[in-house]
Amino acid sequence: MKILLVEDDPIQLEPLKTALSKSGHGVDGVQDGDVAQRLISERHYDLLILDWMLPNVSGVQLCQHYRQLGKCSPVLFLTAKDTIYDKVTGLDVGADDYLIKPVNVMELLARVRALGRRSPLWQGDMLTLSDLELHLTTLTVKRQGQEIQLSGREFQLMEYFMRHSRQVLSRDQIEQALWEWDMEPESKAVTILIHRVRQRLQAVGAEDWLQTVYGMGYCLSSPGHPTEAAFV
Amino acid sequence: MIFAGVLYLREARDRLQTFDQTLYNTSRIMAAGVENYVYEGQQRTDLENVPVLGSDTLPLSTDLTFARWYMADKQLLQFVGEIPPAQLDTPSGFQTQVIDQPQASAPVRLRQLTLPVYQRDRLIGYLQIAASLTSVEVPLQQLRLFLAVGTPLALGAIALTGWVLGGKAMQPIRQSYKQLQQFTADASHELRAPLAGILSHAQVGLMQPVDPQEQQQRLTIISQVAESMSFLISQLLFLARHQGKLLPDMLKSVDLVQIVQPLTAEYTLQVAQKQQTLRINIPQTSLYVQAEPELLRQAIANLLSNAHRYTSNHGTIELRLWQTHRWAIFQVKDNGVGIDAKDLPRIFDRFYRADQVRSRQTGGFGLGLAIARQIVEVHGGEITVQSSPNQGSTFEIKLPAQSMPG
Repeated sequence: MKILLVEDDPIQLEPLKTALSKSGHGVDGVQDGDVAQRLISERHYDLLILDWMLPNVSGVQLCQHYRQLGKCSPVLFLTAKDTIYDKVTGLDVGADDYLIKPVNVMELLARVRALGRRSPLWQGDMLTLSDLELHLTTLTVKRQGQEIQLSGREFQLMEYFMRHSRQVLSRDQIEQALWEWDMEPESKAVTILIHRVRQRLQAVGAEDWLQTVYGMGYCLSSPGHPTEAAFV
Repeated sequence: MIFAGVLYLREARDRLQTFDQTLYNTSRIMAAGVENYVYEGQQRTDLENVPVLGSDTLPLSTDLTFARWYMADKQLLQFVGEIPPAQLDTPSGFQTQVIDQPQASAPVRLRQLTLPVYQRDRLIGYLQIAASLTSVEVPLQQLRLFLAVGTPLALGAIALTGWVLGGKAMQPIRQSYKQLQQFTADASHELRAPLAGILSHAQVGLMQPVDPQEQQQRLTIISQVAESMSFLISQLLFLARHQGKLLPDMLKSVDLVQIVQPLTAEYTLQVAQKQQTLRINIPQTSLYVQAEPELLRQAIANLLSNAHRYTSNHGTIELRLWQTHRWAIFQVKDNGVGIDAKDLPRIFDRFYRADQVRSRQTGGFGLGLAIARQIVEVHGGEITVQSSPNQGSTFEIKLPAQSMPG
């Protein structure tokens, strides 16, 4: 999943970001409320993890703004504000979960997984497209009894495509989903990654599922699908 | 309300008594005009001279509704007013009658007096008069209305006053409760943040795959954060412990010079780390105050620490200690970053940091000045600040001076 993590204390931000990345998520870690505000308007995230007490813009304001924009990805508050009143306020303003610091990292990862199962439809810990399975906890792809392990970026690409299966995704969209907001990947980075993922998919006989749509981008769809006839 | 009821009843009774008295007086005046004599062997009663009943009517102060004269055998002789029964059928004394009158909208209440009249100890007849009670009823009605309106109004006014005064009395309590809530909320946040940092670093360091070098870094961070947290806890406990006024037996005569001197010696080493210049102006003679020396030391140390922290390299810090006839004054002046005018009034508040980001990096929690202020005030002194952004700040502690060690 692509996650926006907003936390103003760098000592707390870094380990959480590392933990989430190790679990296969793409994380934009941001310390400033203003920057976060801009990012949630301009980019898509599968999950927001917000601290409450931030300089400039508060976590509550960020959540409200996010919901006003009509976006519906889950929001998780991770904050030291611990009264019942705070919890109620946080949840009522549009959050899906409210955790109080200090938080056990394993618990956080489990809740992140739980919230990921719901966007946009209940999907479980496994994404499927026809008989192709992507296991989110083990970062593996399985089909017809064959199983392959994916590396971090490869997994993120597969996850992104499988969450938006049968849609044409542009190069820009792929960059935004896989790389951090303040990083500029090289111009051929996406092409190289697609190539690598296709090679991995060969092992399960699905290398032509990941199709190039010339002039527009790429698309992941299974052979039985009617739209396949339009593209070669 | 009971008071109002009692008042009403007494008023009613008084008025009625007055009324009856007047009626009685009237009847006696009238009775005095009755002439009873024997003429041709028969008792004869002449009512000519009786007011109202007789033809020579003397003006009376009361308006009688009717007047009647009955003979000693209770036969009606003469009357004025409505036609009465031919025979006297009411007992002597006062009675209240309710009469329906066609012209009046409501039944009229009359007070009727039946007076047996004696001449030389012999009953000569009965005088019955009646007067309308409206003269009594109207004022009573007014009184009733007044009380009916006035009592709830009074009760309302009392309730309102009580509520307002109660609110005012609760104000300081509410204020200090709010302050306490704010303090615990801030303290909670300040304590949870470093704890979260420690926990996260430890847990992520244990996550697979384990990297010894990464673990080394994380352990270093953990120990730093733990130390800073320990410092915070000391400050919080300090604030919590030294809330109230100092007990007199905790104070003793202390020479400020003896407190400041060793602090400046230590301080000289500290400022050298940032190549800051230190100017010290302390008197040679003693300067006595009533104080708890450890607390004073803490307050002064906090000011010194701030000056050092918020002044850049090669900056200048001046310390002055002097005495006026009433005060002993200690001043720390620096040419550091200064404080914005908008932050100035709140600079001594607990957890207040003028610049959130920078203070966090330098390890400040916003409690140093709050502690200094609490200490100074508990000694009966004042702490003040003057500052301009980018020009520096001057902090001053004033304590009541003691003329002689006592």
